[in-house]
Amino acid sequence: MKHVIIIVKYYLLQAGTEELIQEVPGLMHLKSYTGEEPRLTDIVLKHKPDVLIIHPDSLSAENASLPHKIYAHQNTNLIAIVRKNEKDRVSSDFSTVLFMEENKSVLEKKLREIMTSAGPNENNHKELSKREIVILKNIALGLTHQEIADKLFISIHTVNTHRKNINKKLGIKTVPGLIVYALLNHLIQMDEIKDKD
Amino acid sequence: MLIFGPSILNQVAMLIQKNMKLAEVIHHDHTLVPIINRFGIHLGFGNDNIAEICRKHKINIDFFVTILNAFHDAHYFPQKQLRNFPAALLIDYLQKAHHYFLDDKIPEIAGLINKMATEYALDKTTIGLLSNFFTGYSKELKKHIQYEEETIYPYVLALEKAQAERNPDKNPFVRVNNFSISDYETQHENVEEKLFDLKNIIIKYLPEPKDDKPGYRLLRELFTLDKELNEHARIEDLILVPKVKAMEKALKNKKE
Repeated sequence: MKHVIIIVKYYLLQAGTEELIQEVPGLMHLKSYTGEEPRLTDIVLKHKPDVLIIHPDSLSAENASLPHKIYAHQNTNLIAIVRKNEKDRVSSDFSTVLFMEENKSVLEKKLREIMTSAGPNENNHKELSKREIVILKNIALGLTHQEIADKLFISIHTVNTHRKNINKKLGIKTVPGLIVYALLNHLIQMDEIKDKD
Repeated sequence: MLIFGPSILNQVAMLIQKNMKLAEVIHHDHTLVPIINRFGIHLGFGNDNIAEICRKHKINIDFFVTILNAFHDAHYFPQKQLRNFPAALLIDYLQKAHHYFLDDKIPEIAGLINKMATEYALDKTTIGLLSNFFTGYSKELKKHIQYEEETIYPYVLALEKAQAERNPDKNPFVRVNNFSISDYETQHENVEEKLFDLKNIIIKYLPEPKDDKPGYRLLRELFTLDKELNEHARIEDLILVPKVKAMEKALKNKKE
């Protein structure tokens, strides 16, 4: 059973989301918040939800960094609810996006997929793909995403997606952290690193 | 007699009040010891209650109780009357906490990493990697702390001074319209991420050790540091920021 927390300010949207969760076997609604509660991040961290559904605009200024913090600290599946035209504003911390315009069966299907994929946890066990290793090497060598895109003839968007997956699989987000990983696994050599200081 | 669960992580939060014995509070949550140290209270403090100990050490009781609660309970939210202490007091406290992080914790952990070379039987390169990474992390933490001490705190103190004066425009430090405490909120993220990475590198990716203990010792220190930094940030977000916001507002109204 996966526990779900919902953060949505608007009553109708919140109630609708709760209803949707009840339709998906294996998901259990734990609690709902409006996004304006003081120090909501701490509260959510304490609950350790498996799934967190957030309407990002509901978050108050104080709680704006909540998705990012949850992403960094816990193995929670982050889902955003937005309008279709807000798609590009959804931060990379979210693994799934639900659109308000979508009908019930599509939304249910998306939630079921989360159930079967067993969340970001499973992703972590997978090895890096060959392509990801190439990207990782280049990041560790000090290249920017744009430089990597130019070098490999791919779009910067693709590089960003690879980077996101690498971060998730390894559980390492910062460039210095990725450098350490690459060196420990002999993907690069010490003397290859561009000195940035 | 108070009976609670065995683990600190699952501990039941209680509301700390000034008529409680400080010793009992520490029994309940021993991680508060470094906090009371910052106020000049040291182990062997006897059997007095919080109010009595505060009087003895000339500590503002409300302030002390607020800080203890904020550390102890992640869900604690101080009531308005408990925020009525001078900002200078709060800043003095925060600076002491900074000393604790930079002068005690960071060298301690750096020492543990170096010790791993012999005890963990890690090769030179790996140790070099870890200690470089940690140095990078320390530098960033230091930079963040410096920013607070050189930019934020003087601003807050000037604000408090200006509030006491009749004509705030005369004070050259206060530019309420150009700078606001809101610019400063949630600046901790990058530092946090690095610490998280370091923990993961140790947990998942180090070569197999000769001895398990040094790795665990290091990890325990890193988790403690992370927890203490989070609590520190909470004090800033919860007590400093609202206080400064209130002062900014009051000063703006005064000007108009």
